[in-house]
Amino acid sequence: MTPILEVKNLNKTYNNFSLKDVTFSLNKDCITGFIGTNGSGKTTTIKAILGLILKDSGKIKFSGMDMDDNERKSKNKIGIVLDEGYFYEELTLKEMKNVIAPCYTEWDEAVFSAYIKQFDLKLDQKIATLSKGMRMKYAVALALSHHADLLIMDEPTSGLDPLVRSELMDILLNFMKEPGKSVFFSTHITSDLDKIADMIILIDDGRIIVNEEKDELLDTHALVKGDNRFINEQTQKLFLTLHQSPYGFEGITRKKKDVRRLMPDVLMERPTVEDIMLTYIGGNNNAN
Amino acid sequence: MLINLVLKDLMLVKKYLFVLLVFAAIGPIYISSKVDFNNGGLVGFLLTVLLLEYILFGMVSKFEDKYKGAALLCATPYTRNSFVKAKYLFIFVIFICSVIIHIITSVIMPSGIEKLNITTLGITFLILSIIFGILIPVQFKFGYDKTKLISFFTIFLIPFVFPAVIGWFQSNHISFAITFPFPFPEIIQAWIPCFLALVIGCVSMVISLKIYAKKDL
Repeated sequence: MTPILEVKNLNKTYNNFSLKDVTFSLNKDCITGFIGTNGSGKTTTIKAILGLILKDSGKIKFSGMDMDDNERKSKNKIGIVLDEGYFYEELTLKEMKNVIAPCYTEWDEAVFSAYIKQFDLKLDQKIATLSKGMRMKYAVALALSHHADLLIMDEPTSGLDPLVRSELMDILLNFMKEPGKSVFFSTHITSDLDKIADMIILIDDGRIIVNEEKDELLDTHALVKGDNRFINEQTQKLFLTLHQSPYGFEGITRKKKDVRRLMPDVLMERPTVEDIMLTYIGGNNNAN
Repeated sequence: MLINLVLKDLMLVKKYLFVLLVFAAIGPIYISSKVDFNNGGLVGFLLTVLLLEYILFGMVSKFEDKYKGAALLCATPYTRNSFVKAKYLFIFVIFICSVIIHIITSVIMPSGIEKLNITTLGITFLILSIIFGILIPVQFKFGYDKTKLISFFTIFLIPFVFPAVIGWFQSNHISFAITFPFPFPEIIQAWIPCFLALVIGCVSMVISLKIYAKKDL
């Protein structure tokens, strides 16, 4: 698949946190979920991609072009939804749109109006009076009205109710219907990604831990449940995480065949993205 | 594109803009009615423009600091450079508006206000350029809150430092009269403050661009 965004050896050091050789690429026609706990480096990575913080080293390419050398051209094809909005709340929706729209060469007023209508927003309303959900929808309307090829969203679902989150997932799926589009979506609410993500990138303490196709990731791992009598020194090693209680055990494995062979009577389920995330960053690594 | 960012700054202060523009019209009239400096309206125009610019720039900076909108704008094709340049353009646009208001007022009320001459215009533009040429890079470097503190201490120190500086100049027999070493025609000499103001503005803008390019937003 053709990459739309390539991040290579991105490093950024603060006093008490650093991004360490962050490397990944986003493919066209893919929704990539960028997951990690609070403070793991998701926002820092996104800000570095957008040039909002200065990287210490590393290369970022958009559609094959170096983003530092082609900043305006690249940003013209990127839609952004930032976690805190960063809107001038003093302005109305129309005024803020009038500030943002002229910087995009392909701004499409008809598309913007359609989104405003679809989201039931009022253009003469002050941004300060919008609810969190409405503000997110407005940010999405701004981000999708200039025919962007890549939509970068930083924690768009954080603090939103399930209905609005579900609406956002539908908007993203709708956006992806057009060929050549991509979404890069950071979140710590992983249930959203179960529904829509094609790729999962997991970051922890500034390091990329997992970078795989979601289905492959979920297929290669299994959530195993069973009686404690199956757990012994040999079987314990099959698990990435293992929790035991008086009623039985529950663990995540990447060695499904071995588990089936050595523990034939246990229950094997497809894990969720959250199970995988907690496996790699939860600190309960039991077997290895 | 820059003009849209200037319009954004004007929209942020739209509530106060009308009152301040009225102030730009009546300020010089009031000052010249109370005190006659006999200097072609320089003091009235200079004080009015300085106050107007300082208030408007301060308000815009307060909103920028509060909403952190720069992060969103710099993530768009506007980029950091446009954001910095727009701040200088904002100061210039307000100055041009003040000049236009002054000209219109002097046409409507010729008895209340002196006509703007090139010397008044040039000196005002030069002083404005020096003050904001320092203020804007300092604000990009240290942020709004620290700059407010620095401005406060600077204004506080002026009454103490200024007499000492003047005294030093006088004791060393240094004159303030502006004399140009080259025999420029009068018209060129009259435009020199404007030219200097533009040079100072450009140098300050280059410094601000370099400072802001290294900032984490």
